[in-house]
Amino acid sequence: MNQFVNYAVPGVPFGCVFALMSVGLVLTYKASGVFNLAFGAQAFVSALAFVALVQDGWPRWAAVLIAVAVIGPFVGVVLDRLLFRRIRTASPLVKLVPSLGLLVALPQVALIIAGSTPTIPPPAIVGDAQRVYLHLGSVPLSGLELSIAASTVIVVGVLIVLFRFTPVGLEMRAVVESPRMTELAGVNAGRVSAFAWILSSMMAALAGVLLAPLYSQLDPQNFTVLLVWGVAGAVIGRFASLPLALIGGLALGVGQQVIAGYMPAGVIANGLRPSLPFVVLLVFLPLARLRQLDDPLSGCDPPSTAGERGAVGYRSASTVASSEGTVHSVGVWHQRLGSVPPGRMVGVFTRRPTATLSWAVALVTVVSALTWVPADWLLTMNQGVAFAIIFLSLTLLTGMTGQISLCQATFAGLGGFVAGQLANQFGLPIVLGMVAGGLLAAVLGVLVALPTLRLAGLPLALATLAFALLADNILFPNSWIGNGASGVTLPRPSAGPVSFVAARPFFLLSLIVLAVAAGVVKLVGDGTMGRYLSAVRGSELAATSVGIDVYRLRVLVFALSAALAGVGGALFGSLEGSLSANDFGYQISAVLLVVVAIVGLRSITGAVVAGVVYATLQVAVTSLPTRFAGLVAVLFGLATLSYTRHPEGFLDVLSGKAQGLIGVRRSRGLQRDPADPPSAESSPVVSGPVSGGAV
Amino acid sequence: MSPVGGPAQGGEELLLARGITKQFGGIVALDGVDLTVAAGEAVGVIGPNGAGKTTLFNCLFGLEQPDDGTVVFDGRRIDRLPVWKRSRMGIGRTFQRMQLFDGMTVADHLLVAEQAASGTVRIWRDLLHRGGPTPAELHHVEEVLELLGIVQLAGRPVETLDLGHARLVELGRAMMGTPRLLMLDEPSSGLDADDTARLSGILGATRRSTGVALLLVEHDLALVESIVDRLVVLNFGKVLASGTVAEVLAEPEVRRAYLGVTS
Repeated sequence: MNQFVNYAVPGVPFGCVFALMSVGLVLTYKASGVFNLAFGAQAFVSALAFVALVQDGWPRWAAVLIAVAVIGPFVGVVLDRLLFRRIRTASPLVKLVPSLGLLVALPQVALIIAGSTPTIPPPAIVGDAQRVYLHLGSVPLSGLELSIAASTVIVVGVLIVLFRFTPVGLEMRAVVESPRMTELAGVNAGRVSAFAWILSSMMAALAGVLLAPLYSQLDPQNFTVLLVWGVAGAVIGRFASLPLALIGGLALGVGQQVIAGYMPAGVIANGLRPSLPFVVLLVFLPLARLRQLDDPLSGCDPPSTAGERGAVGYRSASTVASSEGTVHSVGVWHQRLGSVPPGRMVGVFTRRPTATLSWAVALVTVVSALTWVPADWLLTMNQGVAFAIIFLSLTLLTGMTGQISLCQATFAGLGGFVAGQLANQFGLPIVLGMVAGGLLAAVLGVLVALPTLRLAGLPLALATLAFALLADNILFPNSWIGNGASGVTLPRPSAGPVSFVAARPFFLLSLIVLAVAAGVVKLVGDGTMGRYLSAVRGSELAATSVGIDVYRLRVLVFALSAALAGVGGALFGSLEGSLSANDFGYQISAVLLVVVAIVGLRSITGAVVAGVVYATLQVAVTSLPTRFAGLVAVLFGLATLSYTRHPEGFLDVLSGKAQGLIGVRRSRGLQRDPADPPSAESSPVVSGPVSGGAV
Repeated sequence: MSPVGGPAQGGEELLLARGITKQFGGIVALDGVDLTVAAGEAVGVIGPNGAGKTTLFNCLFGLEQPDDGTVVFDGRRIDRLPVWKRSRMGIGRTFQRMQLFDGMTVADHLLVAEQAASGTVRIWRDLLHRGGPTPAELHHVEEVLELLGIVQLAGRPVETLDLGHARLVELGRAMMGTPRLLMLDEPSSGLDADDTARLSGILGATRRSTGVALLLVEHDLALVESIVDRLVVLNFGKVLASGTVAEVLAEPEVRRAYLGVTS
């Protein structure tokens, strides 16, 4: 017991910080309907401001005040106004992508503004972070731990007073309970939601400032880890209860120290600790009331109008994309019926007038690459091809099913490591290793999918994020898999007279792999699976009721997608010659999703363009001063702000514009259908907006 | 067993529900409901708002798990089976709040349902480019489109349809895979008189041609009378009465609870 206390007490400060995050997440989620993954980034921004100000000689109290009471709420209000207020009833994907983009971009923006990472060790709010002031039993308490505990007690006290005894607190409780009912009662829910944003942003800021001294240097990644712990705490609070979230956060902080204490030192203990959020998510997510998670307004309120037929406002990405002309159907069938021009009906991926142009561009690029392009350009292009394959895995998973995976980079890394290890340890040809890597990624995909895929939407995204973190800590450092920081070497394929070691042959090989991957995606998209997936996107309820086993379908697609990512990762590793855990860390998954979502999740071209653009920009950035190292993340992260308006991706917007320029007459001819004038058979009485049937 | 909701005259029992009970918190939505549908029979379920009609549908179809009771379909216990399995066994269903696949065409709605009903694994065939619809499947889609009288709409995306046609598409989708029981939840809701009459005609024609059994929740008594063989009245989660339309509507209790007539 005494030993338990010895282990548990040092966990309390961690618990306090986690609890602040959890409570803040639940507060904004319930008040504004958005699960704000940018929370980790907000914590980082304030922590950076605090440390930078102290380094510039500001007194600590003033620095805390600026960081927590000015910068924190400022960032929160700006985000609320610019973005989150507008997407509260959007689909999970449309909600998640911008907050992911901000999670990636905000810290880099802050670093660019700050110029450089502060060099001083981050100080505690009060006292000396390292000095031991008093002992609790035999446990020494440092200034850092004391300041964390004191701050949390104060915050909790303020919250209690606010919620219990002030009018705005009462309104906030009401909004958390039911935003619509509160609005019906005459409360301005927007104002209350803004207040909740200010409050929760201050808590994120405080959590960041408090946590900073635990690390010798500020690194955005640590704050993403903090976010994942906060998410786990929020899940314990079932996304709904502030006190439960508080307790959850505290329990996690204590729990991780206790686990670390009792477990033998080494990889297991070090790995088990970071895997706690994943375990918690798996256990507690099914308990949360899942139906309400995608739309927190749906439970006791009248159902949301989002996604409803004839609804105005934001609709799901798939719907928007489909209304753009990607109506999914069977060409032969409609030709036979003669009711629809065949040109418009060729499956998920509709041929556009610009298609010929894209093919021409692709052909010129490939021929150039194989003939005159200099070696360093070729390398970049080849990286682009490898990334394109990984992006295709997201086209398949997220573009076609709407499921959000934040562990695609993990699958890619795993595929690469497996291919390399098999080649090095057992002398397996690397091409076979790539296949094996893909297969193993698929197996792991199934293992991840089985417990998590019942969750779908936001919970799935969170579970995959936690899984990526787990893989980073347990799988990648293992000498049998990722071999830690030193990584794994991968040869380029060569068998007898056939060698792909040189740059151009390898590029050719990469193109072949890309073509196969694209073929898989296209076949699945245009086939029966694609039709099933369209159906599930349209209405999951109706899909199961016509006999589609939605769960199994999702597991299949998830596994296939993991396999593609694994092959892409292996190809990338083979290209580079070696692969380390950093290449495909958990934060990369978020970047990948953001990039391909911006360019276009709904087409193969989108994935290819995303791959080339991503690789090119990364190379381009290296020629800039180090200060701008994070510029790619900033560009794509901030581009997600426009994602809410164009969920179909930039590529579709551009090609729509191009189409407008070159193909006006042609597309007009396609849309007009003489056999079926739209108004001819519509009922004269019942038409117009459908309000979901009479109740 | 109480006589109410007992087996119908003639025909074997297709759907047999016994003692279905469902609570939501403290509210008892269904309280020991018995219901039988014989093969080829048409049964209407009526009752005031909140009587538990849709909840009964959901319990029978598997969207809600009843707290108690058994459901037997075609001689097999189905109350633990997931929705998609019940559907593949031959139960088609429509929804009060319409559920269509936005972005897909009318023909594809039917085709998806037809293919899903057979339940074969498709991914390998897709990867070998052999996943397309078979001539038999396409033929059946065409048949149903003709039956519904919407062949000319086959290529239209469903979001462009008006409500009457959208309801027909939903009905057609439920009819794919040749189900033995069709569960229709308020099929006429939001339709005008012409559309309702057409719906009634289509349902009659379907029964004659396929011998499908119908279970129908409906407010429009004229439509109910024109279709069903037997009527079950639910009130506060209990079966209040059951029998032919004329019998049931004559019962004073039904008139009080449902029609609001005090005699």
